[in-house]
Amino acid sequence: MIAKHDVLVVGAGCAGMRAAIEAYDAGADVAMISKLHPTRSHSGAAEGGINAALGNAAEDNAEIHAYDTVKGSDYLGDQDAIEVFAEEAPGDIVQLENWGAFFSRREDGKLAQRPFGAAGSPRTVYAADITGHVLIQVLWEQVCKRDIPVYEEFFAWQLVEHEDRCQGVICWDLLHGGLKTVGGKTVVLATGGAGRQYRVTTNAYACTGDGMAMALHAGLPLKDMEFMQFHPTTLYPTGILLTEGCRGEGAYLINKDGERFMKHYAPNALELASRDVVSRSEQTEIDEGRGIEGSVLLDMRHLGAERIIERLPGSRELSMVYAGVDPIYDPVPVRPGAHYHMGGIETDNDGATEMTGLYAAGECACVSIHGANRLGGNSLMETITFGRRAGRSAAEWALSHTTVEVPEAAERDADARLRELLDREDGERPWKLRDELGTSMLENFAVFRREEQMAKQIEIIEGLRERYPNVYVEDKGEVFNSDLTQAIELGNMLDTALCMVTAGLVRKESRGAHARPHDYPTRDDENFLHHSITRWKDGGVELSKSEVRFTKWEPQERKY
Amino acid sequence: MKVGLKIWRYDSATGDRALREYEIEAPEEATLLDCLDIVKDRHDGSLAYRKSCRMMICGSCGMRMDGAAVLACKTRMYDIAQEGRVPVISAMGNLPIVKDLVVDMDPFWSKFKAMWPWLEPGYDRPDDGREYRISQERMNVIHKEALCINCGCCVSECNAMESDPEFLGPQALAKGMRFVGDPRDGATVERLERYNREHGIWDCTRCYFCNERCPKGVDPRDAIAKLGAESIRLGIDRDMGAKHAKWFVRSTETTGWLREEELIPKTQGYVSAIKQLKFGASLARHGKVRPVPIPHVARDVNEARNLRKVVQEQDREGALGIVQGERALARLAHGGGAESLEEIYARPGAAPRPFLPGDAEGGAVSPPGAGGSAGGASSAGEGSAQGQGSLTQADVTPGKEPTRKRGGE
Repeated sequence: MIAKHDVLVVGAGCAGMRAAIEAYDAGADVAMISKLHPTRSHSGAAEGGINAALGNAAEDNAEIHAYDTVKGSDYLGDQDAIEVFAEEAPGDIVQLENWGAFFSRREDGKLAQRPFGAAGSPRTVYAADITGHVLIQVLWEQVCKRDIPVYEEFFAWQLVEHEDRCQGVICWDLLHGGLKTVGGKTVVLATGGAGRQYRVTTNAYACTGDGMAMALHAGLPLKDMEFMQFHPTTLYPTGILLTEGCRGEGAYLINKDGERFMKHYAPNALELASRDVVSRSEQTEIDEGRGIEGSVLLDMRHLGAERIIERLPGSRELSMVYAGVDPIYDPVPVRPGAHYHMGGIETDNDGATEMTGLYAAGECACVSIHGANRLGGNSLMETITFGRRAGRSAAEWALSHTTVEVPEAAERDADARLRELLDREDGERPWKLRDELGTSMLENFAVFRREEQMAKQIEIIEGLRERYPNVYVEDKGEVFNSDLTQAIELGNMLDTALCMVTAGLVRKESRGAHARPHDYPTRDDENFLHHSITRWKDGGVELSKSEVRFTKWEPQERKY
Repeated sequence: MKVGLKIWRYDSATGDRALREYEIEAPEEATLLDCLDIVKDRHDGSLAYRKSCRMMICGSCGMRMDGAAVLACKTRMYDIAQEGRVPVISAMGNLPIVKDLVVDMDPFWSKFKAMWPWLEPGYDRPDDGREYRISQERMNVIHKEALCINCGCCVSECNAMESDPEFLGPQALAKGMRFVGDPRDGATVERLERYNREHGIWDCTRCYFCNERCPKGVDPRDAIAKLGAESIRLGIDRDMGAKHAKWFVRSTETTGWLREEELIPKTQGYVSAIKQLKFGASLARHGKVRPVPIPHVARDVNEARNLRKVVQEQDREGALGIVQGERALARLAHGGGAESLEEIYARPGAAPRPFLPGDAEGGAVSPPGAGGSAGGASSAGEGSAQGQGSLTQADVTPGKEPTRKRGGE
């Protein structure tokens, strides 16, 4: 063990940094571990905005925000968590502003708010279309102010469970090499999503579900893993995100005939329907031959140069660099791409997991406020609100307990396993498995899902998992051995993907992002109004369910 | 398409350094980063480089291509491959190399932290517990600086840092300007005092390479100029750099030409200047000093004086007065003062007018704010003050033509 802390935060994106800041302010000795420098985290790539019912642009309040979120979740979100979330969000936004966040402003000097999909009021606070960048910068600034130590480029690999509680994390030191163990009275996982399981994704290379896999391997439950959000507007062919803010500012979605096809699918909300609805509509257009090379078009031309340049400069830049199209003059080819895990490590409203001393927040956690479908702008807000709550409760627990101990055997075992992987002299290169996983997930477990495809996908993943013990790392050095960490990441993606498809196969209904139009086209509240729980048992996935918590909204048909 | 790459490999453990050549098959839309991935996956798993978002926002993949800093994920390889060029890829400059294309960022971040990079709110929090109110125009002063993704491309190219490794550098100073220019910040003077020390703002050599290489259009050199201007505006002018700048203005304003003989004593002080007389004599012996000109007032001195007056009348003292290059002029038009800019470009023999907002509608720039409000591009209806974009953001990839279709090309 190289060091001990009260609170150890794994992951330094928005949720991780927010948790660390809160734990520090609560008086705890806190440190962060991250496989990237904090500002490189993928929270920074969020574009459109962050939802809080400030009511600056139109009448709004926490109750409407909560209702929109419940409805958006297709009634699978836990309503007590959603109410906490909607009520605390405005205060968190004001605090971010007070820390120096460079949000866009209205003419009266208040924070500007733009309309977003499935929101009853323009609720999305934004900074042009680089909101995530602005948030990650302001949080990093606050981390610098507090001088919170960061174990940078430490790849967290295993949780240390000792005496029935989490007491640290075993990491691979990417920059210098070697396994290093950092002890913590409490550990907060904030490691983000796992979009890299798909070939077309908005996610960064770093989004490989490391935290979810660590928790899974430690015996913890992952909740609602089958719900993977497909974002409707990702650039063709790279899958790079174009913000929902484009549509919030008034952009159209058109098919190859130039028709605004959303009028057939969501006559009232049109392009601003919920993300699952828009993605399904696009996929239907593409599948029925009204797309162009597997994509539809996002048309911003009518917004005019000035509005695009002022409000959507980042999206314009991305379109120009990666698709060679300037949205001022031409429509941009887009298609649905894997974007966000609604599911994750099961936590309560304070971020606590089943394991004493272990907390989780952000995309890797499932509180759950997103249920079966997340609303745009809610995830950034979740990282802040629940990052803060997790940081606070982790600090409180840590400050009332004293010891940290990591048994030597744990470190020895980890080292032996790692050396086995590192010393393997031949076998298969990991990229082959990674590519096969990405291609097959996109084919068999994407916007629309069929029984036989899911069954086939489970076989494919099992096959890849059988081949995984033979992958070999070409780089045998200690310094910046990213070949090694990429091999470990592959294992994490395979195991979490297996949880997703296994849970998806047994959910015989269509709810939110889990759409089965061919065999189970409707929602089935009688049999499936529950969370899916997946656990790792004997090298496989064990399924169970847990109840959805209701407060005041009864399930209703969902129309936009 | 076939892509050839020569990559400088380096192993800090052994000190081995070698230029390796790779030829790979890549899809036509491939970026430099995609090509490196192919090399690592299929040819040499030991190649080390940083990457994450692959969409120009995380700042991980700064490196050099043919000696110029680029973001690997922003650099499309199609044209290069078509030309049959085999670019040389190496680690960024001015930072110690750890392995291959990976540099040690510690010196970079310690300079970042030396800037006090956080807001010190200089306002009273509103009683209603809501956000502090401020206009977008006032915030827009720092919108370029707020775009910085800390990739280090500017630091890699910094000439001043090459000769003085302790120089704070373009990235840290741009971050400094992000707070000095933030109207909500209450520590401007303390910050400027700090940035005015040795290795600070006045040590910049003004080579403009940082502006040239910044992949996000932050224009760090402009930020440094703004810090200088703000320092002088607030009377923080102990540094020779500040004194030099002040004398420059004074000299041109009074006589309309630069009185070099007075420049040295006015910059360094009389004592120090006298000490350098011997050096001056040696320069004179080698014909490096011009004959002392007869004191006179330049014929067109009023032009120089009018320029100064314009700056004052437009309320562009300090940071707001920093306008450098045509791209900056386009921004100026975007934020206000468009009429005068149109006039400038209408003059006979003026440089071609750059592409300006509003051109898309086919007309010239409409005058800002009909009611005479300060700044703020007009039209776009309600809430037009919300934008913070820049027309010039997308057109800064070195060696690449911008993809826009109209304008001043």
